[in-house]
Amino acid sequence: MKQIDPIRKYILTLLSIFRTNIRDYGMYIALIVIFVIFSILTNGVFLRPMNFTNLLNQTAYVSVLAVGMTLVIVTRQIDLSVGYLGAFLGAFVVVGVEITYPEFLTKLTNGMMSAQLMSILSIIIAIILALVITVGVGALKGFLVAKVKVPSFVVTLAGMFVFKGLLMIKTNNRTIPTSNTFFDKIGVGYLSNFKIGNMDGLTLILGSLLMLLVIVFSFIKREKNVRLGIKVEPVSLFATKVFFLLGIIFLLMYTLGSFRGISYLLMITVVVVGIYHYFTTQTVLGRRIYAVGGNPEAAELSGISVEKIIIIVFVSMGVLSLISGVMYASMLQNTSPNHGPFWELYAIAAAYIGGTSANGGVGKVVNAVVGSIVIMSLKNGMALAGVNANIEPIVLGTVLLLAVLFDIYTRNVRAVDLVGMFYAKNKLQDEYKEAKLAYIAAKKELELATANNESNVIELEYQFTSAQGEYNRIKDRIRSAKEEDFLNELR
Amino acid sequence: MKSITKNFPGVRALDNVDLYVEKGEIHFIVGENGAGKSTLMKVLSGIYPYGSYTGDILFDEQIKHFHNISDSVSCGIVIINQELALFPDLSVYENIFVGHEIKRKDYLVDWDETKLLAKKYLDMVGLKIDIYEQVGTLGVGKQQLIEIAKALSQNVKLLILDEPTAALNEDDSENLLKLLVQLKKEGITSIMISHKLKEVEAIADSITVIRDGKVIVRMKREEINEQEIIRNMVGREIENIFPKRPKYVEQEVVLETVHFNAFDTQKNRYIVNNSNIKIKKGEVVGIAGLMGAGRTELAHSIFGNPRKYKISGSTIVFGNVVKLNTPQKAIEAGIAYVSENRKKDGLILGEDISQNMTIAALKKISNRGILDFLEQALQTEKYVKDLDIKTPSIHQYVKNLSGGNQQKVQVGKWLFAEPKILILDEPTRGIDVGAKYEIYTIINDLVAKGMSIILISSELPEILGMCDRVYVIAEGVQTAEFLIEDATAEKIMEKATL
Repeated sequence: MKQIDPIRKYILTLLSIFRTNIRDYGMYIALIVIFVIFSILTNGVFLRPMNFTNLLNQTAYVSVLAVGMTLVIVTRQIDLSVGYLGAFLGAFVVVGVEITYPEFLTKLTNGMMSAQLMSILSIIIAIILALVITVGVGALKGFLVAKVKVPSFVVTLAGMFVFKGLLMIKTNNRTIPTSNTFFDKIGVGYLSNFKIGNMDGLTLILGSLLMLLVIVFSFIKREKNVRLGIKVEPVSLFATKVFFLLGIIFLLMYTLGSFRGISYLLMITVVVVGIYHYFTTQTVLGRRIYAVGGNPEAAELSGISVEKIIIIVFVSMGVLSLISGVMYASMLQNTSPNHGPFWELYAIAAAYIGGTSANGGVGKVVNAVVGSIVIMSLKNGMALAGVNANIEPIVLGTVLLLAVLFDIYTRNVRAVDLVGMFYAKNKLQDEYKEAKLAYIAAKKELELATANNESNVIELEYQFTSAQGEYNRIKDRIRSAKEEDFLNELR
Repeated sequence: MKSITKNFPGVRALDNVDLYVEKGEIHFIVGENGAGKSTLMKVLSGIYPYGSYTGDILFDEQIKHFHNISDSVSCGIVIINQELALFPDLSVYENIFVGHEIKRKDYLVDWDETKLLAKKYLDMVGLKIDIYEQVGTLGVGKQQLIEIAKALSQNVKLLILDEPTAALNEDDSENLLKLLVQLKKEGITSIMISHKLKEVEAIADSITVIRDGKVIVRMKREEINEQEIIRNMVGREIENIFPKRPKYVEQEVVLETVHFNAFDTQKNRYIVNNSNIKIKKGEVVGIAGLMGAGRTELAHSIFGNPRKYKISGSTIVFGNVVKLNTPQKAIEAGIAYVSENRKKDGLILGEDISQNMTIAALKKISNRGILDFLEQALQTEKYVKDLDIKTPSIHQYVKNLSGGNQQKVQVGKWLFAEPKILILDEPTRGIDVGAKYEIYTIINDLVAKGMSIILISSELPEILGMCDRVYVIAEGVQTAEFLIEDATAEKIMEKATL
């Protein structure tokens, strides 16, 4: 048998990886398509450094919610209350920082405290109290869902109404602007002003560092897999992957660096996502969340407390709601009774677009962030392109539906090895043709006999089924062929 | 285990059971369906916790109280249930260690060590697969081995397997048995529930036969003999609990399957393998076989294939080749299927009798899509009377009826659709003797009117007492066909336990 030429083999291998992992790549493709479409519609403004930075900042509060929501959905639950909970906590912190604690601290120290210290202390007190509230609320939600067995849809729907009311009470139905400079910095500030040429210095340094780390860790991981005796990809493929990753980081670094660098919002998002990614992939507790979602009965039988896990997931969701609410309030530099609606739905949509399974057990937090970026790109891009604002929700809904449809249709994707298929096709082509012809002939004969109501229909039916079976078997053999199967013949 | 007794509401599942297993042996527990084998193993493994049964469990000569499954696992007792406790979305190496993860610093998963050990345990069970594979994509045979690898990783001393080979094909079964023998050499004791007497003969060191919650006999390796086991399993004489009926069988064949196969893509095997059955007018045809043999799957495949198996071969109803690819089409062709699980698949428990009774043929009581409730009530009254359903009113909720009456509602529901062929899947499971008799009487009345009935049953006396003819199925393959005059419980059991 003839050896396949290396360039063709390389391309086929890349395609195999792509097709085998199509589920993971789906949303990246969606993102690229969206980026391209809006770049064209806005004459390139969409991807300019300023707009791209703004886009990431606008995405921050949704990303943080989506991370928590992914875990909620992974455990087969839902949380509808996070939007108004976040908005309420934002209001709680703003009102505390602006009014309550400065007054309290002034009274306490008889006005001796410096304004700067007071504003910092106010923020700290407000956040700590908000944290206590949200942990309590999360534990209560988790308790009702896990122990009392109230469906999470109902528990959190009730919560949604309650927090909407609390938000209106806290803000007294007015928009309250913020004036605390430290608080405002969270929403509109950037990490540094240090420039290298025209670019933001810190971004360049961090970006370069990240690229270096990617290179080093890729090699370390590959080395380790070799040591553990786990199969590694060929060098050409490995290099492609690393270069691809480096390219993405470089583009990101260049785009962000050309404007004002890394915002606090972006930094918080990255830290939160980083922690959660680590938590869900490396810790015992994190992995158990996925076990509970994938098969609760089996998890219980494996000695995992399903109730405990669900409570933890709701508490984590609460903490993230607080972070999200604070980010949003400081980004808009006010708190308002109008904050909150649709946040939870954006978060849920982001998780689904990111491939989280509604059946539980599957979903990556990083992908939920990409899902958030997809949603906010649509919003941002359509506004920028001057599309009628009424169209936006329609497009958003359609994209969500398409994402879930894509997920369903790719659920049973099996691994393919196009190189193996190439060899198998060559080898089996005669048998394949023969079986196909026999199948078509049997089908025709049967159709004819059925149409003419002949007496031997049953016999022909049987012939047809066996021809069909043979044809399917050969197709399946080609489909499941692997390159390894042909190594002997190639030598 | 000493004098274990366990009650469920209304039933004594285990009655003073003594089970004795020696260290390092392979012990089989055999018995008919519902004899109490699985219940006994669930007591032993702590799934039914200490306090929910009476009697003592002695392990390594010590009395043990298992309050949950973790307690028994920490003693080295690991059970592998029929329903595998795996996580389909997770990888092989992760599945092996879920719940007893290899830790670093108490809270981090040590993935390197996990992967290395996973490889080691996979080697031990002789499974040559990539540890990165998703468990959900593997066949049942491989999943079974992963469960055993999981047990090994928990330092198992006593391995309990509940019908491990029921879902496996021959090669996989053989592999598994070899593995058990090899584990025995390494000092691991096994208890295995199995219906396949060939397996018992092949590797058992000793067996216990259980019937109706009682231990009938314990045999040592030398004493094991297939005929003897079957006699002890079946045991009872057929009492006169079946109403007599004359032969109503006519020559006309109403339903026939030709080279009929059903392939389950999830289990990746044929669950119906080359079935050729014929049902004549006025005939009661029995489908006998053990649980998991593919009886229900055969019924499903004929009745419009609701589980979406890959079907090949042909179905012939009243002389026409038909494609019954939805239950709707099967109903239109005159077939009805009374499900084995009336609560899950058959009845809407929170609705009343009249709703349930008419749901399968609402067209009959509606006019241009508008329901005629008077007609519904009249029709329901008629069936309630015909089937002698004991209820204060036709508006009684079905969940408030007794098991026997629920079953009659389910039968009535399908009779209302006026089928010509009625498939009854375990129609008397979980109902008392009196209600059984009434169901049998209904069957006799129906065939007298010219209906044909397929009776699927695990209870051999029922098959022998009610059917005109019987097909025996084992592992999806039709292994025998008997006229009822020629059939005996022993003959059927022999063909059902390949």
